[in-house]
Amino acid sequence: MVKDIYWLVITSLRTNFRKRSNLLIYLGLPLAGVLFSLLLYSGHGQGGLHVGVVNEDGMEMAANTVSFLESLDQVEVVGVTKAELQQQLAAGKLDSGLILEKGYSDSVLAGEPGHIVIQSLKGAEVTAYVKAMLYNYIDNFSVMGKIAAGDSAKFKQLYDEYQNIDFELTTSSVNDTSVMVAMSNQSIGFLIMFMMMSAVNLSELIIVGREDRTYFRVMSSPISSRTYVISNIIANFIVMLVQIAFTVICIRYVFKMDMGISLLQLIGLLALFALVSVGVSLVIVAFSKSSGMSGALQNLIVTPSCMLAGCFFPVDIMPSFLRRIADFMPQHWLLQTIGQLQEGASLEDIGFNILVLSSFVVVLFLLATYKFKRMNDTRSFA
Amino acid sequence: MNVLEIRELTKKFGEFIAVDNMSLTVREGEIFGFLGANGAGKSTTINLIASLLRPSSGDIRILDRDIAKHSRFTKMNLGIVPQDLAIYKDMTAYENVSFFTGLYGLRGAELRERTEEALKFVGLEDKMKGYPKNFSGGMKRRLNIACAIAHRPKLIIMDEPTVGIDPHSRNYILNSVRKLNEMGCTIIYTSHYMEEVEEICSRLAIIDHGKIIAEGTKEQLVATITDVKEIRIELKKGSDNLLGILRGIPGVRNVDMKEQTIRIFCDLEVDNLGLILKALIDQDADIRSVEEQEPNLETVFLTLTGRTLRD
Repeated sequence: MVKDIYWLVITSLRTNFRKRSNLLIYLGLPLAGVLFSLLLYSGHGQGGLHVGVVNEDGMEMAANTVSFLESLDQVEVVGVTKAELQQQLAAGKLDSGLILEKGYSDSVLAGEPGHIVIQSLKGAEVTAYVKAMLYNYIDNFSVMGKIAAGDSAKFKQLYDEYQNIDFELTTSSVNDTSVMVAMSNQSIGFLIMFMMMSAVNLSELIIVGREDRTYFRVMSSPISSRTYVISNIIANFIVMLVQIAFTVICIRYVFKMDMGISLLQLIGLLALFALVSVGVSLVIVAFSKSSGMSGALQNLIVTPSCMLAGCFFPVDIMPSFLRRIADFMPQHWLLQTIGQLQEGASLEDIGFNILVLSSFVVVLFLLATYKFKRMNDTRSFA
Repeated sequence: MNVLEIRELTKKFGEFIAVDNMSLTVREGEIFGFLGANGAGKSTTINLIASLLRPSSGDIRILDRDIAKHSRFTKMNLGIVPQDLAIYKDMTAYENVSFFTGLYGLRGAELRERTEEALKFVGLEDKMKGYPKNFSGGMKRRLNIACAIAHRPKLIIMDEPTVGIDPHSRNYILNSVRKLNEMGCTIIYTSHYMEEVEEICSRLAIIDHGKIIAEGTKEQLVATITDVKEIRIELKKGSDNLLGILRGIPGVRNVDMKEQTIRIFCDLEVDNLGLILKALIDQDADIRSVEEQEPNLETVFLTLTGRTLRD
């Protein structure tokens, strides 16, 4: 039996990996998923901020404010008109815009800062840094204005002392690991989907064999239906291991993404999930009467379940009832396990998750075996 | 020695009885013809012999061993040429034969030798690296045969191996069957082409509604027919409309048409040739020749089943 399985597995792998279209499906698509994640997260948490400034005030205070902004690390200031600001913000050329309206300097000197507007289409994560630094700066002048109480000579004295102060504030940018982790998680999400699709495609060969009658010929040889199915499972599992190793190594060493989890742990978890994928694919094949039907079932099951399980976006943004559905998806348990390991959980901590994933494997295989056994004709497999 | 022995074999699908208490013996060295119209139970019987179906009752023995108890041994000695092509489109001819032969445990130099031998036998030695999708119908049929014989089985079952192919490939296949037989293989051959069966089979059985209704040599079977005659009329141009008209003539049991020739099977004692010719002339049929045939296997088949083999 072992020799028979070896013969079937080797032949299956040889024919599978020889076809370029299969290579594209098994290796190219997960890689495309990684590239897509990279594209999606490009620019997030990286590089400096481009701030457009509209100075309508024209007074010394306003000029000093612009100079302060220019002196900040990670900020590049561009002088623009109001119209240009709107246009460049919309085009994504600027991250944020600062409008110093007429009366700005007077309001600061009066101790009640106003006539200042900060704009951004990218939300608080972009404006927060500029706002924090700028408001601190303006607040200082506002206080000086209050102390000077309209006496411009006193204000000038306070201002000069402030400028000559001997402490220095330095800023530096740190790596935003949350973006990297999110990016690698989404890449894994795509890998999960393509693993499941590959598994169905490979198990579908059992149905294709029935359709093109090659299964008939194999069954008339000393090979048993059980041996045939077992070898399909092994070939399927090997293809997925190659797929996993290739994608994970590309993520880590080609795209230099730090997944916050050791490669071995990740590959081990994905290998366990590969068995889940084989189980799902066998159930789909067992319940399909034709390759067309299994293709339709694949579309109906794989993509929506991946979506619900959080392969494409975090489950936290979904309504609570959808989050409860995610608990029934093996993909969700895998992503959750990876998430826990990224947060520093030990192997003992993820024991329950491993148990749940293993249970999925057992239940799916039992279901497929039961269904195969009920086919009591030439199409019988077990 | 009996290569195949079927005893009281029955296969039911629900209420439908596909094979009905069949008993049959095929002896070593025979080319055994298995005749039956569509749905007669031929394919079910072949599937049962190949262990692809489990019988409802009865048993099958190959080389004196029960196929249920000695599955591996009996399968090792069995080669099946299925009616529908069973080859991988994305494997070359060589890879197809090598893969299927490998299922019988052959490896290495022996596997290579047997694969090349089988491809040479069916005349595909120049197409070893070719893909079946680029083959003609006849070449695919020959590859289908090569996949079944490379492991040198003692019993080969060929189910309609010449369906839909050109005369050259057909002759090649028929010669191959004879050669395999000369090399010591016992062959069970099913075909819709009566002339093929007449040409190559040493003995045959006629199956109808899952039962063997006649068994013996061609001569033995023809000798049993005493009440049917066959009239062949060649026309300049055939028309299907004529068949219905001819079927309505008293004494006509069945009519079929192949190209421009109409075959009319009639009761021997009824003299209806005049009525037949009149009906054809009334339909403006341009008659080229008329002849009465000696009884043959087709006549036997019609007499026993009430149908022609192509019905």
